[in-house]
Parts: sequence; C-alpha cells; structure tokens
Amino acid sequence: MLQTLIPLAVDALANAALIFFVAVGLTLVFSVLRILNVAHGSFYSIGAYVAASVGLWIVGAGLPDWLTFPALFLSAAVVAAILGPLLEKTLVSWTYGKSEAVQVLVTFALFLILEDLQRIVFGVQSVYQDTPMAMLGISEIGGIVYLNYQLLLIGFAAALLIALRIFITRSRTGRLLAAVVADREVSEALGIDTKRMFMIAFTLGVFLAALGGALATPTTGVSPGLGADTMVLAFAVAAIGGLGQVEGAAIASVIVAAAKVLAIYFAPSLDAVAPYLVMLAVLLVKPYGLFGSGSTRKI
Amino acid sequence: MKFSSTLRSLTAASALAAAAGSAFAQDKPDSFDIGVFTFLSGPAAAYGMPGRQGAEVMIEQINAAGGIGGVPVSATFVDEAQGAEGVISEYRRLGEEPTTDFMIAALSSGNCLALAPIADQMKMPTVGWNCDTHQLFAKEDHPFFYRPNGNTIAEFMSYVLYFLDKNPDVKRVAIINPDYSFGHDAAEIVKATLKSLKPGTEVVAELFPKMGSSTYQTEISRLSAARPDVIFSNLWGGDLENFVRQAAPRGLFRQSQAVFALGESSMNNVAMPEGVIVGVLGDGWWRSPDAAKLGATEFATAYQEKYGKDPVFPAMKMANAFVVMKAAYEQAIEANGGAWPSKEQVTAAMEGMSINTLTGSMTFRADNDGIVDQVVGTIGSVEGIEGPVLTDMVRYDGSKVLPPEGEDPMVWIGSLTPEFLAAMPKPGSYK
Repeated sequence: MLQTLIPLAVDALANAALIFFVAVGLTLVFSVLRILNVAHGSFYSIGAYVAASVGLWIVGAGLPDWLTFPALFLSAAVVAAILGPLLEKTLVSWTYGKSEAVQVLVTFALFLILEDLQRIVFGVQSVYQDTPMAMLGISEIGGIVYLNYQLLLIGFAAALLIALRIFITRSRTGRLLAAVVADREVSEALGIDTKRMFMIAFTLGVFLAALGGALATPTTGVSPGLGADTMVLAFAVAAIGGLGQVEGAAIASVIVAAAKVLAIYFAPSLDAVAPYLVMLAVLLVKPYGLFGSGSTRKI
Repeated sequence: MKFSSTLRSLTAASALAAAAGSAFAQDKPDSFDIGVFTFLSGPAAAYGMPGRQGAEVMIEQINAAGGIGGVPVSATFVDEAQGAEGVISEYRRLGEEPTTDFMIAALSSGNCLALAPIADQMKMPTVGWNCDTHQLFAKEDHPFFYRPNGNTIAEFMSYVLYFLDKNPDVKRVAIINPDYSFGHDAAEIVKATLKSLKPGTEVVAELFPKMGSSTYQTEISRLSAARPDVIFSNLWGGDLENFVRQAAPRGLFRQSQAVFALGESSMNNVAMPEGVIVGVLGDGWWRSPDAAKLGATEFATAYQEKYGKDPVFPAMKMANAFVVMKAAYEQAIEANGGAWPSKEQVTAAMEGMSINTLTGSMTFRADNDGIVDQVVGTIGSVEGIEGPVLTDMVRYDGSKVLPPEGEDPMVWIGSLTPEFLAAMPKPGSYK
C-alpha cells in the first residue's frame, strides 16, 4: 500500500508545485485588480521560452552549467520587469471599471497577440534546456526513480507560499496591497496610490507565472500551446481554491494535481477531465470555492 | 458494397470515356500546381517538417529533370496544425482554384478521414502521404483518394511480431500512446495481436496522454510502477522527443524494453538508448538494402546537402508520394496519347498501380490502400556511420501483414495463431 501511496504523493506534489506558481499569480492579480486575466498563461510560456533560450545560450557559450539555475529566476524577473508595467499601463488599466465581458475579451485578445508573438520570436519548434535537471541527479522513492529537480520544485513552491504570506502580512507594500483588496475606495481616501498598487500586483503576477514557466523548462519541452494548457489548469485551481486566496491556491493546486495523478494511475481515460470534474464538484457545493467568500474580501 | 462497386465502375467508365475522346483533352498548364498538407508548427512539426523538406527536395529534382510531362511542379504548403476545420477549408480553397492539379494530403489520420470524402466530392486526385489509420477505407470507398502506405494494422502488428521474437519471455506489456484515434487504434491492434500470438500476456498499463503534452513525469512514474517487460508507444514528433528526454534520466529504458513505432523519425533529434526498437511505419528506412538499390541514396544525398541532416522516414514517405504522383501523371499522359490528362484520367492511372518507390515496391489494392513492406529494427551503431542506425532489421512482406481486402481487420488478427509468428522472418534476417 505504502509502495503505491508514496509515488502517488510525490507525483501529486511535484505536479502541484508547477501549477501553484501560475495559479497563485492569477489569483493575486484577480484579488487586487478584479480582473480575470486570460492572458496569464502566456506569461508562463514566455517565461519558459526565455529561460530555455538563456539556458541554451549559457551552455552554448561554454559558461559554467550552474549559471543555468540563477538564469531561471533572472529570466522570470526580466519578463516581469518588461511585460508587467508595459501591459498594465497600456492595456490592462484601460479595462478597470469596465464590464467583466470587456475585461475577458481584452485579455483574451492579449493572449492571442502574445501567442503569435512567441511563434514569431521563438519559432514553432519545441525548445529544450535540461541542464539544471541533469546537474541534480536522481533519487529512488518507493521503488521509482525521480529527478531531484522535481523534489526541489516542491521545496520552491512551499518556500514561495511562505514568502508570499510574509510579504502580504509583514511588508509595507504587502499591507498596502491587502488594504486595496479589502476596500479600494477607502484605500484611495487614505492616500494609498492604488494605481501603483495595481501595477505592482500585475507585475508580481506576471513574475510568478513566468517563474512557473522558467522552473518547468528543465523537465518539460517548450512549444506553442503551452500557455493555453497551463492557463486552463490555473483557472481550475483558482476556482477550487476561491479567487483571491493564496493558501486556497496552494491547497487547490494539490487537489487538482492529485486528481490528475490518480486518474493517470487508476483511470487513464479520465486524465484530461479529472481536474475539471473536481472543480465542478467543489463549485456545486461551494460556489465561491473552498476558501472564497461572496462578501468578505481578503488575500 | 454493391453501391461502392457501382461507384467504382462509374469512376472507371468516366475515366475511360474521358480517355477515349480528344474533346476531353486538357490544355497543358504552365505550372503543375499541387497542395501539400503537413504539420509545419507545434510539437507535430518535428515529424511534419521533414515531410515538407522531402517534398522540396523532390520538387527540385523533378523540376531539374524537366518537370512532370514537361511542366514544372509548384507546391502550396498547408499547415495541419491549424486543426481539421482550417485544413478542410484550405483544401477546398486550393481545390476550387482551376490551376490546382493534385493534392498530397495529409499527415494526420484525422485530417485524411476528413479530406477523403471532400476529394471525392471535388474529384481531386489526392495521395495521403502519411495518414495511417485503417479506418480510412474501412467504411466507404474513396475513388479519388489513394494511400501509398500500409495501414495501422500492418504497421503496429509488425512491431508486436518483432518484439515477441526479440523477447520471447515477455509477460507484461505497457502502452503509452497519444489520446486520439491513432493512439487508441494502435493500442487495440497491439492488444489483439498479443492475444492471438502470445496468449496470456498481460497489459499492465494503458496511458493516453493528450497530444502536445509538455510533461510526462506522472506517466513515467506510472510506467515505472507497473514494471512492464515491454513499453510500446506510438507517440510521435515533439511528444515522443519530450517523453524520451524525460524518461531516459529516470531509468525507464533500463527497466523495460522500449518500442517506439515512430522512433526513427526522432532518433536524430533526441538521444535514444541503443537497444530501443524502432521502425518506419512502412519501408521508408533510406539506408535499407532495397532502398539503396532504388534511388534513396541519391535522394538522401540531395536532402543532406540542402538541410545538413539525414532524411527520416516522414521525408521518405513524402518523397514516395511524389514518386506515385509523377508515375500516375506519366502513365495518364501516355494513355492519353501524350496529351495532358484530366483529373479523372490521373485517378484512373492510379487504380491498381504497381511501382517501385525510393524504398521498395508499392501496389495499390482495389480499395486504394497501398501494399508496402514493413521494416523494423533496433537502434544501434555501425562503424563508419555517424549517429544511430537501424540494426538487427527485419522486412515483413506487406501482403502478409495487411488484412485481406474487405475483411474486418480485428477479426483477421483474432484468427491468427502463434504459428503465424513462427512463419515470419526473424530480427536480423534483413541485411
């Protein structure tokens, strides 16, 4: 029994880690900006493409292999620093106060533009860069060989969850963000620069998605369409956890990943739909998600 | 069946009528325009691009030799990654242009199933350069659609024959195929063949990941946990490369014998361990003894000069589709007294055609399915050749592994016995 359960748990947590990076960014942006950003998945794939390209350049240039590790984080930071403020100021801010339909249409248009831009910039062939994975080696758990990099990802996700909670509750910017989430009008009346907070939250969301993509590259191939797949899964996580809930996103990531893993192990034909069946079941019982609420707003 | 034979007779009669009178003769065009459908983007492009490159080399060679009937060939390439709806509309758009003479379509079985009835409607001679599904001609005739390849039955059954001969003690088999008809059909064929030829073999895992998946880590864990003797897969293109890249470091290929039905098409892109069983879905291994005698080496040299790499079997399949198209036109021109033939005359020329392609012989059956041999081997290395090659090869006679025309293929497989396997040539016999 334990022989089966341990690999199941490791697979579920490794999957959940990658989903969490994207889903928490999506839920953060929603909680502050009140926008369901359909283009969020594109930031994941752009982060993946940039990280893979930088990693390939490092290896090709004969630089030390260990540089591919910081390159993953640096790539995500560069993507966020460029795209976050640029898109928030030029396009996303235009949708503030508009109807949800307009917001979805605008961000969907942005998604299509970013997808095509990726094809133009990075081409249509799959890109691989697995140096960080190869450097870390393997471990055997429950009789199954795992990549140490997969286990490291679980640690990264847990560290991110803690770091986000500390950022929101202890840092000045985090507290200001929490205030904007709780009541935008009162925050403005108190002198909080909400426009700046929106830009910070959006950029942080882009960074988290891009980081998820960058961290995924050592164990996955990057090709067109990656963003769409990830986005749909992130929506399921956000819906299950409750939009705007950081811890909810973490638990929902584990639930979604566990559903997927259980399906692959015991009912492979349900693999693709398992996360959405879980989402359906949760929303039937708790329409605002497991940790969401129709009235109180918090992050 | 009565209706289909009537339809066939009508087609043949109309072709003969067209051939009989000069009133039906066509004006010789300035350019021989064709549509070529393949995957040019996305993960499937790893398989589809060699097809396009093979087409480009063939067009250059045909045009350098004077074209087809003295007319230079010009191709419009269509990306199948846009989905069936886009592919159908592109086929219709090209087909409605009066200058379009011929179609080479398509790579995806799903697209071939969608395009075959449209080829009939538009009376557009079409060669399916890759589409493998045995469903293509199973339910209805497609008089304007020809496939110069074996179908999925011959292809996947051949792998089972090969790995059962290589691993006679196999007891546990796992399957990981793409989640669409090509993957599910292959799984059924493998299971049915095992049931007939090696009763008692257990299928311990059957996985169907979504096509275009970027990660297979959970599937790899599941396969590891199942402890199969053999892992069969018809993943292809970027999917196969992704799977191999992720599975190799986790020791999956040390634990189990891997069989990658489309492995040859990816073995130059990703490091597949020696000993993995791969094939070419037909006879399109350009280094095979037969191919060397039939002009594949010259094609490969031109391909290498243009693209700096070896042609993989999708390139050979595409090249063979061009060989068939050229032969059909030349035969139709000859039958038409040297005049440019109509589309019906070209279609009639393909009926029952038997020719040598670049890699072997090909004969169209009455149902328009091609009989070609099946070459299967094991990845290995040979002194003097850089990169992986097929070793320990076998060449199965195409007519022996293709179900008889009109017979339900799964019923036919069910009628086979272990003696069928014993009578087949053995790994290493094709040198």
